[in-house]
Amino acid sequence: MLYREAGQFKVSYAADQQIFSIRQDRFAVLALVAIAFLVVPVVGNQYWLSAILIPFLIFSLAALGLNILTGYAGQLSLGTAAFMAVGAFASYNFMLRIPGMPVLLAFIGGGTVAALVGILFGLPSLRIRGFYLVVATLAAQFFILWFLTKVGWITNYSSSGVITAQQIVILGYAFTTPTAKYLLVLSIVTVMALAAKNMARGNVGRSWMAVRDMDVAAEVIGIRLMRAKLLAFAVSSFYCGVAGALFAYAYLGTVEPEAFNLDLSFRILFMVIIGGVGTVLGSFLGAAFVTLLPVLLSVTVRYLDSNLDLHIAESTISNLELMVFGGLIIFFLIVEPHGLARLWQIAKEKLRLWPFPH
Amino acid sequence: MRTVERKIGAAILELEHISLAFGGVKALTDISFDVREHEIRAIIGPNGAGKSSMLNVINGVYHPQQGTITYRGTERRDMDPHRTAAQGIARTFQNIALFKGMSVLDNIMTGRNLKMHATFIEQAIWIGRARREEIENRRKVEEVIDFLEIQHIRKTPVGRLPYGLQKRVELARALAAEPSMLLLDEPMAGMNVEEKQDMCRFVLDVNEQYGTTIVLIEHDMGVVMDISDRVVVLDYGRKIGDGNPDEVRNNQAVIDAYLGVAH
Amino acid sequence: MSFFFEVLIGGLLSGVMYSLVALGFVLIYKASGVFNFAQGAMVFFAALTYVGLLEKGLPALLALPATLAVMVALALIIERIVLRPLVNQPQITLFMATIGLTFFIEGLAQMVWGANVRGLELGLQDEPIQWVTETSGMNVSKFDLVAAGVAAILVTLLALFFSRTRIGRALRAVADDHQAALAVGIPLQQIWAIVWGVAGAVALVAGLLWGARNGVQYALTFVALKALPVLILGGFDSIPGAIVGGLIVGASEKLAEVYLGPFVGGGIEGWFSYVLALLFLLVRPEGLFGEKRIDRV
Repeated sequence: MLYREAGQFKVSYAADQQIFSIRQDRFAVLALVAIAFLVVPVVGNQYWLSAILIPFLIFSLAALGLNILTGYAGQLSLGTAAFMAVGAFASYNFMLRIPGMPVLLAFIGGGTVAALVGILFGLPSLRIRGFYLVVATLAAQFFILWFLTKVGWITNYSSSGVITAQQIVILGYAFTTPTAKYLLVLSIVTVMALAAKNMARGNVGRSWMAVRDMDVAAEVIGIRLMRAKLLAFAVSSFYCGVAGALFAYAYLGTVEPEAFNLDLSFRILFMVIIGGVGTVLGSFLGAAFVTLLPVLLSVTVRYLDSNLDLHIAESTISNLELMVFGGLIIFFLIVEPHGLARLWQIAKEKLRLWPFPH
Repeated sequence: MRTVERKIGAAILELEHISLAFGGVKALTDISFDVREHEIRAIIGPNGAGKSSMLNVINGVYHPQQGTITYRGTERRDMDPHRTAAQGIARTFQNIALFKGMSVLDNIMTGRNLKMHATFIEQAIWIGRARREEIENRRKVEEVIDFLEIQHIRKTPVGRLPYGLQKRVELARALAAEPSMLLLDEPMAGMNVEEKQDMCRFVLDVNEQYGTTIVLIEHDMGVVMDISDRVVVLDYGRKIGDGNPDEVRNNQAVIDAYLGVAH
Repeated sequence: MSFFFEVLIGGLLSGVMYSLVALGFVLIYKASGVFNFAQGAMVFFAALTYVGLLEKGLPALLALPATLAVMVALALIIERIVLRPLVNQPQITLFMATIGLTFFIEGLAQMVWGANVRGLELGLQDEPIQWVTETSGMNVSKFDLVAAGVAAILVTLLALFFSRTRIGRALRAVADDHQAALAVGIPLQQIWAIVWGVAGAVALVAGLLWGARNGVQYALTFVALKALPVLILGGFDSIPGAIVGGLIVGASEKLAEVYLGPFVGGGIEGWFSYVLALLFLLVRPEGLFGEKRIDRV
């Protein structure tokens, strides 16, 4: 099956507005989702599922959250990890304090609390712009982490603020194996990604992008800046909050506030930049890249090390990782500011015409 | 002079004693004029005369220190952009203010945002009202696209378009809101003769077919004198002339402002 | 009451140290409109290089100019590889690029010199000045006072550099309007290289003082994060603003920690300056000394 759209005529606006309006894309994506749900759980081993795929999916969700705020609405945030923390710790408390609380509802509750906190720290965005806003989100990052550490009630007075996430039980079924957790995370991420795409292609998404591109013009058209920005903060923080809850419940199990430090915020920002600012697909590509690169790097270095007898220290690998990430960020900003998603799109456009050059 | 039969109605927008200053710089001083329903009203004047500031006052981007604005019977100290849009005033900008990261279609669709009421949750699930509105409004937008003859660039990112087409897309975005009053800030600046002719035709068509009242800033005197019903002339933030094109053409103060005067 | 003054003076003097870091930000922002997040990494890099060279057996008198040379070289490379290709990009893109730069420099510094914490001896003791303690009963650190003196000298030099030299004038022109500066024949790239070089030198001074005080370690990069609220208070493009902002942040966070801290469990130094800056932003978005912007449409 060649990648061609010839002969696919769209006869209704609804057909033209589909997420994947080219038939081949639709098949490819459906196939990918089917593989993720049906094949991966069968062939994937423990290590791959719990150390690579689960964190990849969770980071994708967080990156999606940041992408809504930064990529679509144009508000740069360095406080992503803090909003994840809010989601994680709020879910924990919902589970802890409400007997018989369904875990999915606790995740939604965690996301909602994160959304409210997001709105609170988004309020300054109504008066300040650009990297001045970075200060507001950094304030969120530092203040929230401090708050979670200092208020004993939140962590149920555990020593050093470590919490142990309750077991995930849905309708009597306990999600304990990596495969079960993977499927749960995959389902949540799929649903939320679809919802994000729907918002992005609808009126909400257009309002966000309008605010991002030219706020005065957006206002003159009748878009309420305040509502659009705060909604972006709320939805973004909701996504981050759910990602944080999954981070605690489906990935780490035990977690302390410090796990959601500024470094994690940066990491997620990197996913967005490398993957593609302002695209849903980019969030996934970026998360995959940032999750896989350290693994790849460490495997390569170890391989070289054992074969060439270089005696490379563990710290060298982590420093190398810092340099590679830093360098890649600069590289992408210079060469392809729209990230991997744009490269993918270019590849598809080329493929559409292949084998003809134009 | 055009001699098309239109019913020019009563004044719907009245600006009285508007004064606007930025810090110590006076942009507008005690300006009063009105705009009548269905007319084409031009604002002219040399660079820095305060023309764009005037439009910004009308749609609430700037807030004047003095004066009142009466629109359709409601008197206000100042306007705010959102309320202005809700009352059916749309505009274009002198330096194109399109949303650069979006396609032509999406840019024009933003013009419909006040007509769309589905909440973000409905849009996230993409059912019912959200889906219906998206299609209904797309139909309206396609009408505007047909009207302005930009079908071929529908899916193009606006950043890739040449200047003249960008101006046209900006007009399309404003028209998509089905405004009753349209503020145009130099819609023909930087265009060649053909593009200007096209734009003139669109402005006149809008005015005739939809009865849209038009307030227009333009430097090309030929265009202004040809298409406008009345002209207000600003110089250094003051009004120095007001009337139909012939009156303005023969106004000594206006001639002095444009040609310079020996002191 | 004397305890209050002691805290206040201690805070003001450590604020000077923030100002030193903030100064590097302001220089670069003024000239190129780039908010250089990597300034903290540069401080770290400078201190680590200096200490590293000392460890290699270089005498201090040689290590200092050598480090300076390294910093200037680093600045030139950054200008060439990172900034030049990003000319005319939105500020936010440049800002994100400097975040990438931060990671790169941190990785590089630790790769070359190792990551262990090192002491740095400048021959200055961080101890109270005796006669001040005797006459007023307050503890004022000798080290802090010298640091303040160094900062004062640096600011004076920079102010002279900006107002009296040809390069300084060109620099102000560039800050005002890139295009116009280019049009009158000011070599933009050269100016940027110079500014980044000077910022590198400022980072060296800050790195030495901070390193001597807290040890040369990764945590030095967090100093950059402290400089951010300083800049918000002082305005991104004002040298006096950086100084005043630093003093305010230094004094207020020390006072807050001492008087407010006990009620909320302490540790508020980490975020207090941010919340202060945030509240300030809501009242005066352009900073104390910054210029108010008018949106033109």
